[in-house]
Amino acid sequence: MVRFSSEPLSWLACALCFAGAPLFTGIVNKLKARLTGRLGPTVLQPYYELLRLARKETVYSANAGIISRLAPGLIVCTVLFTTLLLPLGQSAPLSFPGDIILFAYLLALGRFFQILAALDVASSFQGMGASREARFAVFAEPIFFFTIGSLAIVTRRFSFETVFAEISWHDPFFVVFVSVGLLSLFFLMTAECSRMPVDDPNTHLELTMIHEVMILDASGFDLMLYQYAASLKLLLYCSLATLLLNPFGVFGPVLGLLIFVVTLFLLALALALVETLMARFRLLLVPQFLLFATAIGILNILIFTFSH
Amino acid sequence: MMTLLLIGFILHGLNLLLPLLLRDNHRLNLVCNVLNVAASGCGLFFSLSALLAYQRIEYAFELPVAGPVLIGFDGLSLFFLFTFQLLSVAGSLYAIGYLRHYIDCGHSVRGHLWFFTLLILTLQLVVIVQNALVFLVIWELMALAAYFSIVFDRHKEEVRRGGFWYLIATHASTFSLLVCFLTLHEATGSWTFGDFARYPSYDPKLLAVVLLTGFAGFGIKAGFVPFHVWLPNAHPAAPAHVSALLSAINIKAGIYGISRLLLIVPAHDPAYGWGMLIVALVSAVLGVWYALAQHEIKRLLAYHSVENIGIIGLGLAIAWLGRCYNLPELIALGLAGALLHTLNHAIFKGLLFFGAGNVYLYASGGNIETMGGFARIIPLTATSFLVGAVSICGLPPLNGFVSEFVIYKGLFRASDSLPGYAPLVLLFAAVGLAFMGGLALACFTKLYGIVFLGQNRSGVAPVRQHEAGSSSAVLLGLAGLCAIAGVVPATGLRLITPALHDLPGASAIPVDWASPLGQLQTVFLLFVALTMSICGVKLWIQNKTGVSLRETWRCGYQAINPRMQYTASGFAEELVKLGRPVLGLTVSWQPVRSVLPLARRFHSHCHDRIEDGYLFLNRVIERLLASFRWIQSGNIRHYVLYVFAAVAFYLLCALVW
Repeated sequence: MVRFSSEPLSWLACALCFAGAPLFTGIVNKLKARLTGRLGPTVLQPYYELLRLARKETVYSANAGIISRLAPGLIVCTVLFTTLLLPLGQSAPLSFPGDIILFAYLLALGRFFQILAALDVASSFQGMGASREARFAVFAEPIFFFTIGSLAIVTRRFSFETVFAEISWHDPFFVVFVSVGLLSLFFLMTAECSRMPVDDPNTHLELTMIHEVMILDASGFDLMLYQYAASLKLLLYCSLATLLLNPFGVFGPVLGLLIFVVTLFLLALALALVETLMARFRLLLVPQFLLFATAIGILNILIFTFSH
Repeated sequence: MMTLLLIGFILHGLNLLLPLLLRDNHRLNLVCNVLNVAASGCGLFFSLSALLAYQRIEYAFELPVAGPVLIGFDGLSLFFLFTFQLLSVAGSLYAIGYLRHYIDCGHSVRGHLWFFTLLILTLQLVVIVQNALVFLVIWELMALAAYFSIVFDRHKEEVRRGGFWYLIATHASTFSLLVCFLTLHEATGSWTFGDFARYPSYDPKLLAVVLLTGFAGFGIKAGFVPFHVWLPNAHPAAPAHVSALLSAINIKAGIYGISRLLLIVPAHDPAYGWGMLIVALVSAVLGVWYALAQHEIKRLLAYHSVENIGIIGLGLAIAWLGRCYNLPELIALGLAGALLHTLNHAIFKGLLFFGAGNVYLYASGGNIETMGGFARIIPLTATSFLVGAVSICGLPPLNGFVSEFVIYKGLFRASDSLPGYAPLVLLFAAVGLAFMGGLALACFTKLYGIVFLGQNRSGVAPVRQHEAGSSSAVLLGLAGLCAIAGVVPATGLRLITPALHDLPGASAIPVDWASPLGQLQTVFLLFVALTMSICGVKLWIQNKTGVSLRETWRCGYQAINPRMQYTASGFAEELVKLGRPVLGLTVSWQPVRSVLPLARRFHSHCHDRIEDGYLFLNRVIERLLASFRWIQSGNIRHYVLYVFAAVAFYLLCALVW
């Protein structure tokens, strides 16, 4: 049966994730601003933006059909649901053998509707974004399966909770294995969450964007849902990368939480650094970038297998 | 219960007489198809109740030459019978509305309906006979019935061409199977499958012949790469209800054959399993990549069948490996994944082909570059097509995900229990499956987005058209089945349990092997509830803040028109380009030279490298044989000389010996 966690802490952690997702985006933006020598908006700015959007009227394109109206709610729901599968704390709110597959496929469901919603409004700009999203997703999918799948094969477990629980810091090979996995997941995060160097979340030139251009026609509450889903997804992937270190299992709940938060902050800093120091890749180079991440994953599992 | 099936077969038999009696095409179409629905419906009722209260039933009678003929209903036969009957009901019902358009255009459907009925009948028979010789005869009848059903619109050159591809492929298949079964007969001295399975001591070399010819023969029918070339040629040629049946169930006859063979032949060498795994993986990836490059709906869907057959093949490979290493749980997972995906693919691929048929009725030609905005023109079709598209991409909470999940589970379980470097290979297979999922997502967002969303590219006004009642019922019914089999995976599981019970060593299968499916149900129900509540909240808030309609934001540009939307080729271009080594892409365009250019043409076409290979082989053989063409001089005296020489030669031989 599906195991619902009886630990209130894991539910609390999940709720904190839901509530804190815009804050995380705010922190990344603040760090980025400071690194580029600007003061930047307050870390709470994403909340203000979401509130502002929620109060506004929703304008639909005359071409838009049911898909545009269905997509925002569905996309938020997929991200919320995948967050439930992560063991933030000792256990995941929702866990069963095979949830790692559900994780990837639920996010793919969100992407499916994101792309369709973009094509729904009959504009070439949105179509361009949709095409890019579909293309990069093809290369992003294997990265996840190589990192998490190889962990599943090595630990002989099949759900996030049990896979992460098996990770220990005693075996040096394992530490290397996990660290490289973390790197792959960081690359994956840049693609999945439309960050540099794959996509530039700040540009206002429609031709160069991926995620932002797909939601170009969304407004009001719909846009709010899209923005919230994007920020929660960023936090989701960063948490996933952090969980590879298994802070809760190795260091206990209190120290683990501290390490978890610090690692999240470090990831935010890394993201901000990357976005400050690098320009967005040319779109043609993005598949190579993602294939590079896949190659790391392949090399990683090969080295690990042959060393054992 | 058995009488129901008999009534079904008798009704089908009567149906074969109808085209001789009824002259009016409209009436014939209605009566014949309604009878087909009733007949298959009776059969469906039988197979469903037999599956639910499973008991192995066998009937035997004697035939000259073939010996004892068994009509056997074991779990595997019943499962395939159920799948075939389900789609036969849907296909016949759909044909009522669909053929009406053809009859209105002056086509005669008498011959077509005869062969269509024969196709349905033979499809049902082929899975229940347990005698190799009778099986081959029915197999061949089925192939011919399918061929004549395909070439319904035979005045068109491309239809005859597509039909010809099918005819060649199916005969290659029959020939290969003939070798396979003759070898088995040589070894065992019997024609029945049961005796084949019970025979204790096969020679490994002989088994190699049996397995290779069997895989080739059934693989051609199923459409594994490199035998897939007939699918994308035959499917667009056939009318929608036939292409749906071809893709949903006819190719599954190949899957039935392979599963039957896997159960008959003693497992001895894992190499076949690994070989099958690789063939399946290659089929899956190449199939979806080719599909991505297509501009025609049915051709695209046909290539997608190759992908899905690949996924089913992965399951069968896992089952074979499980048998070789004697791991019952692995056999159960592999076979369950393969069978579930067979059923699910039959449902959603039927749905998609029927939907494509409706699109063809209202679009001029099958080229998706001229389409768009069909969600406004045929909304029921659009909605059910969306359900099919989500299912075929294997996305939760619909049925495609359930079977892919079982196959993933099988791959991971196999990596857990197989020795050596097997886990690595299986990890690569799992990643391949994920990669393919990404490609399928690109493929179906392209198809759905370009055909049904946006504005029409050829300027057809978005006026709602009348969708035939029978076809809407079929589409919505199949979409409902996709949802039920997805959200409540136990339904599909219930149907395949008898097949698993028949497995050798079934008692050793752990009881909880299917528990993840029960878990999925809870998760899916939660997910659906959460989505609905979020959408409800959204509607409530939007009700307060207000909603209005405006034109799409054009970034300030005023003279926008529907042709400026993204095209299907543009959408898929970069991914197709990446597949160039295998995809044979040709692009030609007129370069833009002046500042104010006139109309320019751009043409891109993806041709199948493997098909090119076959055509090349064909040319080589033709050239080789052309050098003997002088023998056929056309001069009667030469032919008399040949006869004389031949007689003289035989006489000489007779003298010498």
